[in-house]
This record gives sequence, C-alpha cells and structure tokens, in this order.
Amino acid sequence: MSKNEPKILMLGWEFPPVINGGLGVACHDLCIALSKHAKVTMVIPKTYPEFTIENLNLIGLNTIDARTLRNISYRNDYKNLEEVHYVPSRLNPYYSDQHAVDHLPEIKSKYLTPVEMGDETAEVFTIDDLYGGDVIEKVTVFGKLTAKLALTLDFDIIHAHDWMTMAAGMEIKARTGKPLVMHIHSLEVDRGGEASKGWVYQMEKKGMEYADVLMPVSNFTANVIHQHYGIGKHKIFPVHNGIRPVNAFKGKKRFKEKVVLFVGRLTRQKGPEFFLEIASRVLEVRQDVRFVMAGTGDAFHRLLEKSSYKHIGNRFHLTGFLNLEKVHEMLSIADVYCMPSVSEPFGLSAVEAAQFGVPVVLSKQSGAAEVMKGSLTFDFWDINRASEYIIRLLDDDVLRDKVVADANKDLESISWDLSADKVMDGYRKYKLYME
Amino acid sequence: MPSICFYFQVHQPFRIKNYSFFDIGKDHFYEDDEKNRVVLNKVSEKCYLKTNQKMLSLIRKHKGKFRISYSLSGTVIEQLEIYRPDVLQSFVDLAETGCVEFLAETYYHSLSYIYSKEEFTRQVKMHAEKIQKYFKQKPKVFRNTELIFNNELASFIEKMGYKGILCEGVDRLLNSRSPNHVYQPKGTSKIKALLKNYRLSDDIAFRFSDVNWTEFPLTADKYASWVHKIAGNGEVLNLFMDYETFGEHQWESTGIFDFLEHLPAEIMKHKDFNFLTPSEVIEKYPVRDTYDVKDFTSWADAERDLSAWLSNSMEQEAIQRIYSLEEKVLATGDADMIATWGKFQTSDHFYYMCTKFWSDGDVHKYFSPYDSPYDAYIYYMNAFSDFEASLNDFKPKKTPVKKNSKKLVAAIEPVAPVKRKK
Repeated sequence: MSKNEPKILMLGWEFPPVINGGLGVACHDLCIALSKHAKVTMVIPKTYPEFTIENLNLIGLNTIDARTLRNISYRNDYKNLEEVHYVPSRLNPYYSDQHAVDHLPEIKSKYLTPVEMGDETAEVFTIDDLYGGDVIEKVTVFGKLTAKLALTLDFDIIHAHDWMTMAAGMEIKARTGKPLVMHIHSLEVDRGGEASKGWVYQMEKKGMEYADVLMPVSNFTANVIHQHYGIGKHKIFPVHNGIRPVNAFKGKKRFKEKVVLFVGRLTRQKGPEFFLEIASRVLEVRQDVRFVMAGTGDAFHRLLEKSSYKHIGNRFHLTGFLNLEKVHEMLSIADVYCMPSVSEPFGLSAVEAAQFGVPVVLSKQSGAAEVMKGSLTFDFWDINRASEYIIRLLDDDVLRDKVVADANKDLESISWDLSADKVMDGYRKYKLYME
Repeated sequence: MPSICFYFQVHQPFRIKNYSFFDIGKDHFYEDDEKNRVVLNKVSEKCYLKTNQKMLSLIRKHKGKFRISYSLSGTVIEQLEIYRPDVLQSFVDLAETGCVEFLAETYYHSLSYIYSKEEFTRQVKMHAEKIQKYFKQKPKVFRNTELIFNNELASFIEKMGYKGILCEGVDRLLNSRSPNHVYQPKGTSKIKALLKNYRLSDDIAFRFSDVNWTEFPLTADKYASWVHKIAGNGEVLNLFMDYETFGEHQWESTGIFDFLEHLPAEIMKHKDFNFLTPSEVIEKYPVRDTYDVKDFTSWADAERDLSAWLSNSMEQEAIQRIYSLEEKVLATGDADMIATWGKFQTSDHFYYMCTKFWSDGDVHKYFSPYDSPYDAYIYYMNAFSDFEASLNDFKPKKTPVKKNSKKLVAAIEPVAPVKRKK
C-alpha cells in the first residue's frame, strides 16, 4: 500500500446516538465505510462520552473551550493546537453571572454557555436540539467555531453535509484553501417546494457555488441542483446511499386484511396525501386492505380528517411515530410498500422495505427509484397507476415474486462500502488530494 | 304555587384505552379499565356519596317536601355494580324515600335516536328494566342523551308510552316566552315537555365558583330571591344539571355543599314555592303552549345543537361506522358482542373527537381522557377495526340465543347483585 490515504475533515450535524432522521444514519455509516480508505475526523455539534467509533476521530463542539479558540489566528498554524482546551463533556453547562468582562470571547452567542472546570470557567457550544430555536444562529456559531478549530487540525479535504454545515465548510475553505466537497442529502427545494427561496435556499446556493465538488445522493438530486440552483453539472458527482444490513424477518399478522405501508414524515415532501388518495382508490375496488402510515408530521391531522371524510377510517391507520423496532415489525407484516414522495433525494425507507422482502411501489421523483431498478414506479401525482400496481401486487403472486426477486438483485449493489468507494473515486477524479 | 323541578344527570362512559394499530387482532378488550375505575372512584368520593348523603338528609329534614329526580345511564350503573356497589346502594336508599324519581334514557347514553330507531327503542327498554330492577320504579318521563330533542322524538317517545320529556329551553324557539311553564311538543297529543331554565341552572352548574361573575359569591338566599321572582309569571322552574356539579365540577371548597344544604329551606321560605319531580309537575300543571322544535336541540355547548358530537368528519365517520354494524351485531345473538357494540355507541366517545376549539374547547378537553381529539379518533377507530374483524369472524357459540328482542335484553343484562345494608 504505497498509496497515500487522504485526510478528511467531515462536518456533520445529525449524528448518532441522537437520530432525527436519515441524515444522521447516512453520515455515520458513510464515515465508517470511508475510514477504511481515509483518515476521517468528524466535527459535530455534540458528542457523548459513551459513544465512540473505532478509526474515527469524532469531535463534539460541546467538548471544546470556545475561549481558547479566540487566540487562534487566521494563519494556518498547527502549533495553535496546544492552546485549544478540550472540556470533559460530562460537565453540565450552567449559566453564571461571572462573565468576566476582560475574558469576553470573540464569538458571542446565546448558544455558548459557561462550564466550570476546577478553578477556571470554560465556554462551550451548547444546543439542546438541532433544529429548534434560532437555527440560523446555531449553524452560524457552529461555522465560526469549527472554522477556528479546523486551523488546529491536519486534513486534505473538507467534506460537509447539507446546509447546516455549509457555513463551516465555506469558512474553512476560505481560511485554508483546502478543497470543499459538499454531500447533498436533502435540499430546501425538496422540503419546501420550488418556491422555497429563503435563507436556507440562499445558504445552499452560495455553498454549492463555492464548493469544488458536490456529491448528491442521487441523479434526481443532481438534477435539482442543476435546475433549481443553477450549478454546472461538471462539478456534480452523484453518490448513491448505501444501506445497513438488517436481520429481516416475517411477522405474524393478526388480521386478515392485506397491509400497504408508508413510513416517513407526514409532510408535503413525502406525498402523504397522495398515499391517502391511492388508499381511497384501492378501497373502492377491494375492502380487504389496510393502509398504514407510520410517522408523524404537519399533515397528521389533515390526513385523519380527510380519511374520515372519505369514509375509509376503518381501513386507514395512522400509527404516529414508531421506533426502529416497531418500524421493522410493520415491515415484517407489510404486503406492499408505497413511497409516493414528491421530491425525494434518496428514500432509504423504500430500500429497507425491499430488505424485508416487501414489494415496493415508489415515485419516480426519488433517488431510490434509480437503484431499485426492478421496482414499480409512478409519477407521484399518478394515483391511478400507483393504485393499479398495488392491486396487481396484491392479486398476482407471479408479479409479486418477480418484483421481490428483482429487488433482491438490486440490493446486492447497494452498500455503504460501495458508496465509500464512489466517494473515493470522486476525490480522485477531481484530484482533491495527492495520491 | 310555583314548583322547583330538580333533575340531575349521572353518567360515566366506558372510556376506550389507548388502543394502538398493533393491538388489532390481538387484543379484544377495548376499555380503559384502570382509568374507568379511577375516575369512578374519584367522582364517587368527591360527588356521588357526599351529595347522595346530603340529598337524603335534606329529604328527611324537610319531611318529604324536598323532591328531586335523577337519570342514571346504564353504563354508570354497570360501573357502580362493578366498582362501587356502596354508591349504587346510596341511590337505592334515595329511591326508597319515595321523594326521588328516576327518569328514562338510552342505556348507553347514546345518539341512537339519530341513527337507528330500533336500536334506540332497544336501549330505552333495556334501561327501563335496569331502573326497575334497582329502584323499583317504571320510568314515566324520558330525557334523551344531553337533552337532545325535537318534535319527532317527542312523538316517538309518546308512542312508547311516556308522559313527559325533558328538553333545553332554547331562547330562539321560545321566542320570548318563558321556559317556566309546561309545554306541548308540536305534533304530539298528550306528552308534555319540561324546558330547562338554563340561566338559573347554569348559575349553579357553571357560574357558582366563577370569581369573575358579578354575582359571585352565590349564596342560597340570593339564589332563592331570584327563584322567587318567577312567582306570578311561571309555574315550574326546571333546574337540570350534571350531578357532578356537586363536588366534582364545583369542588367542595367552593361551598357548593353548604349552598345545597340551605337552598331548599331558603326557597320554601316563600310559602308558595314547593319541590316536585317531573312526573308530579306533569300531573299538576296544564299545558300552556306549544313548543315547536324542528331541528335537534340539546343542552351541550354554546350552540345547543348536535355539534358537540357531530360537527367534524372524524365524529361522523366513527359514528356511521359503528351503526353500520347493527344488523350483523344483533344477528350474532351474542350477549358480549352486543354489549361491546352498545358501549361503542356512548356519546362521550364522539364528544372527545370534537375539534370546536374555538367554542367550548376547554370543556371538551376537561372531560377527555386523551391528549387530543385526533388521538380519541385514532384509538376509537383502531378498536373499532378489531371489533369489526371479530364480528366478521364470529362463530356462534353452542347455544345461540334466538333473534328475539325480549330474550336479547335478558341475555345482555349483567347480573350483579347489590350488597344491601343490614
């Protein structure tokens, strides 16, 4: 092995053990796979002392004394490293009146709180939840602190994930001149629709323009980046997500009806109301099907009201939020998985359904449709087609077996190791480090 | 000689537990046993026992001149049988004074009249048998769930042989007439309607402890002075309210029991005033005018209509679903299935699903065992789904009961003897 291992500075936001959605899992699994080929340092808002990962240098901003960062100059000067104080993260931050005026840190924020360390007081980045409160302030302070911290670290490539870490990535690139890769898991245009052109959109646009390479999780998202953000295709390098192996099992259903399942946030992007329309259409034809939506979100109440208005209340079930174990239990009894996403960068849940041997009917407006080549796809608005597919899958064992067999074949080429290989290919293609 | 007619509603529903999707097909028991027991015990201690004792002592003290009436739903009687036979006995003690009348209602405190006349009839009969069993009275006066009423219902109840019916005195329908007379529902020939005087009723039930009320604090002599004002232009003052007003909605610390203690004497200080039960009012006073109610009215919420139960699609879906099973359920002839179906009909379930947050939302929330109306709907529909599946899979037991309504009622009647005091 004469090849030089690149040193990657990853910037993450969601990360285990705290899971908000798919992003944390994707970052975690990609990091682990990538650390087989590279030296990875991951900076995230918060780490937990009991949660460590082999071969991965995981730094939580909650473990850094922000005051010691203020002395770090803008020069790329590694000896500053010794000046940075690491704070044992078990210390609980508390608010104190003893803000010595002469010790004001350079960066002031309500998200910096003092912690006592023996005789001294340190100041650390503290956010209780990732997206609540003043999230713009949170990502800005995260960016400033991370940029200073980065000056004490040794790396070849900056690899940021989504808009929350873009400010950090841009600032580090500006100060160090190191190449910036932006991994795109989800965009404001996906979440909020094409008209979403607010602060987050602007941040994404600026960030992606400034980045050297963009790694969206699908060709679908590559297209969104090009069409809605006006970024040239030359620097877009899609890397499909992998999937964590799972011990799939078949559960015992306690009722006779078939189950058509949806798992995800109940919000516009995921197309929950199309699922309701599909349910209503299928139930016109046959009554022996239960449509189950696992998840919660802003459409929750609307879906309940609409389903009762359509008189399908006895066949349309909202379970609310389910933990992983319960999601697996649902997958184990599902007969069809339906993902009607309006704009889905990837859609891990469809792949998870396939892992459980559940035939998948999914929207063409999803990244998963690109890797699940054998699945039945429809345009998210095409309720008729989706309903027909579902009815056919429930009726026709031959079709069902074929779809499941194809999906099994597809699963062979979906893994985080393959995704990490692809990321390495990207680093090399764009010559981001010296091989 | 004006008469005061007190009627108190006593009801508790069989609340449905947080029945999840994962319970469907596994768990065929839908009631929140624990919650039902806890609530019944709490209300028993705070209200039923204390107030019954108070009523009994007032009846004795006034030597039969203080007279009142109750309506106990079949579901509350069932719960008392299971958890609080002592409270049930205290109602029996009241019945034995001869000064207390028990009214008719639907066994399950349901909205069955709106959805199925057959089911409604079945429940009214079932309830009457239960009342006869414990209180040795055959109800003569009917009150529908939450005073839901219209002309057609009055005619229907008249044909069932009832002499009187209770309803809300709605201003727009009274059209500036007084509720303090006996009325004849339009389209009926004999049955008389007693109209709730909501102002004076709500002064006790809702405003008694309201410190922002200009009349606060309300004393028995002040209230009696208002009552006395009807002398000369009214014959009967109908004070209808939830029994839980005493001790539960108005806590003991508000002084509600002291108020009750002194009220009969204060009212009877005026020699012309007395207390009568609904049947006695109907015997004594002639009809003064026709009360014409085309659309349903009720005593619930500010709207005084059906919107407390039937104003959104979730309530509509749930209630239509449950009544759609009628034929299938009765065809099983299975006492358990029929009783479970009956409990699903209790109006409270739909009350919990109400989303009229802007009007009386707080009142709905106060009574609801769930976090939100949406939860109430989800748990109900999940439980319903299981019940529907059980019904579809139903196989008759060895000796099926024939489809004969009389036998059905007998089969449904749970037999739980009440411990009599020595």
